Amino acid sequence: MSNRTLQDSVRPAALPLGGKLPARQRTLQLAAMGGALLLLLLWPAMTNIYRISFVFFLLQYVVLASSWNIISGFTGYVSFGHVAFFGIGSYTTAILVAKHGWPWYLTLPLAGLLPVAWAAFIGYPCLRLKGPYFAISMMGLNEALRVVALVWESLTGGGFGITMPNVENSLETYYAGLAVAALTVAMCYAIAHSRFGLRLAAIREDETAAEAMGINTTAHKMYAFMLSAFWPGVIGGIVAYKLLYIEPDSTFFIIITVNMITMAMLGGKGTVLGPVIGTAILYTAQELVWWHLPWLHLIAYGAFIILIVLFMPRGIMGFLIDRGWVAKGVIQ
Amino acid sequence: MTRSMVERTPGWVYALYLAIALAGLGVPLSLAGEGFVRWLAQTRSIATFDVTLQVLAGGILQGGLYAVIAMGLTMIFGVMRIINVAHGEFLMMGAYAAFIFFMWLLPRELHSLFTLNIGMAILGVGVFLLLCLPLMFLFGMGVQRLVLNPVVGGPELTPLLITFGLSLILINASISIFSSDFRAIPYLSGALVVGPLALGYPQVVSFIVSAAITGSVFAFLKFSRLGKAVRATAQNAEVALVCGINVERIYLYTFGLGAALAATGGVLTSIQLPFFPEIGAIYILRSFAIIILGGRGNYLGALVGGIILGVIEGLISFFIPMGSRLQELAAYTLMVLLLLVRPRGLLGGIADE
Repeated sequence: MSNRTLQDSVRPAALPLGGKLPARQRTLQLAAMGGALLLLLLWPAMTNIYRISFVFFLLQYVVLASSWNIISGFTGYVSFGHVAFFGIGSYTTAILVAKHGWPWYLTLPLAGLLPVAWAAFIGYPCLRLKGPYFAISMMGLNEALRVVALVWESLTGGGFGITMPNVENSLETYYAGLAVAALTVAMCYAIAHSRFGLRLAAIREDETAAEAMGINTTAHKMYAFMLSAFWPGVIGGIVAYKLLYIEPDSTFFIIITVNMITMAMLGGKGTVLGPVIGTAILYTAQELVWWHLPWLHLIAYGAFIILIVLFMPRGIMGFLIDRGWVAKGVIQ
Repeated sequence: MTRSMVERTPGWVYALYLAIALAGLGVPLSLAGEGFVRWLAQTRSIATFDVTLQVLAGGILQGGLYAVIAMGLTMIFGVMRIINVAHGEFLMMGAYAAFIFFMWLLPRELHSLFTLNIGMAILGVGVFLLLCLPLMFLFGMGVQRLVLNPVVGGPELTPLLITFGLSLILINASISIFSSDFRAIPYLSGALVVGPLALGYPQVVSFIVSAAITGSVFAFLKFSRLGKAVRATAQNAEVALVCGINVERIYLYTFGLGAALAATGGVLTSIQLPFFPEIGAIYILRSFAIIILGGRGNYLGALVGGIILGVIEGLISFFIPMGSRLQELAAYTLMVLLLLVRPRGLLGGIADE
């Protein structure tokens, strides 16, 4: 799957955080994360609404990229239609808020669980497909959902979309997004430092060997897929409530899938911090380019994707690991 | 490696999924129309033999176009194991090349040649394709050499992202050059009347040209030395290399030919319908559905799959209320169901990973 040799990924199995400077690095990591969290908590008090929204949407992509990373980075099954879970969550919240008058925060558990149910439903057959076939089937299923959302007008409002009652909600959605992002990264960290994470890595490196060693690969792939569907659904609900309007084409938008993949790739897929770093850099860069050179930004983005994939397939974390600045593990 | 692509799935699982899929189609259907019974009555009154025949013929003509596009994709997929997400954008380039040619390069006095009668119309498209396809072939080879060659044989995510980046570049470049307005080419109008059927001239020309091109590609793959080398590489690149085939050169030719076939599809689209920079999205997932229907790397399968999809779409959009939007769903549903039930495709393809 990745460029690493099997030896590279297997050697530190006994010590997931082994390698150079583990203690100092762990302290550093914790300090950096604590500082970042504190900054993010105080952020709304320091700036204006535009910047609050900017960080909110950045956090949205932290959630999406990290979740994609669970099934595709840790487990090695490339989901090219991951935005489907985001879209289901968005529609769940939008329908419940706009049509049934639920308070938005009560819809979030459902916005998370429905995508998990969908993941279980499509995962059971589709996770048997290998390589490009899995990617294509995910893409096709996402498009199918988009068409269903367009056609099923009595439920989703079709192409007109759903409008929710207008309220000012920057702060509450910001903190909800921050909490979800923190929980997602924490979940990734927990997975990466558990036996479950090691089994996922075994499936990624060689599925037949993993099965021969007694790992129930079908069940593990299903768990990973379902876990990777939960938080995108929740953040989808929050984003829908923040925007107060959703419609099928921008909700089941393939570019969102590509964004989360590129962000995870830039940071380093298969690592916990990679998607976070990649999102922070890429989303900021996108915003700046979009702001200053609107006519160029998608062309530049396309070229950027090609360059990253060609020259930095293991991302920033891979670069740091090669230098010995970050400890090497099966999953960092 | 000859590891089977799918594990065995118990039969009841398929039955369950089929039932749920049918129910899933039934719910929007019964919600969309005023009622199933009324819909059936309506259908019976319009579905005479002649009309059904007309719909079938239209589907077959459309399917010929799908087949050309899908054949390029299945060739790239079969030989290089690459999913070319930018295939739809190669098609768009073909359509805009035709636009540039007809609108800017061709003197006004010669326009009538392409709108005069069906013989001239075919000749015109043929001449243009002779000019355009070598350029697209070179373009495809350039893309392969520059960005795809380093990643052939790697993990599937890499070429997926690279071709997606390429498609972003191509779409937005063409938006900045041509704007996102709809464009169209003046072309022979009217219809060919054969018994009860009335077939639009552009569709007929498109079908004749795609049949000719499909036929020549078949002949090339079947009989020429190079074509045999392409098929050998598709079957097993390593063995082909050992046999003295320059596999990298085959990759170059394959990608060039694939791009040229997509551009052919674009030219044939441009004479039938208005087009715009994002037109590729309409065709790309359909092409995936077709190559999965026919089997990866199976060229006859692409032809059969294209015609099957064209006919199914024609039937759905004619006989089902709101069908023109549901016909997209048909392609995706067909694709996913086939991936699950018979991933080697109807006619069988290369299924080993």
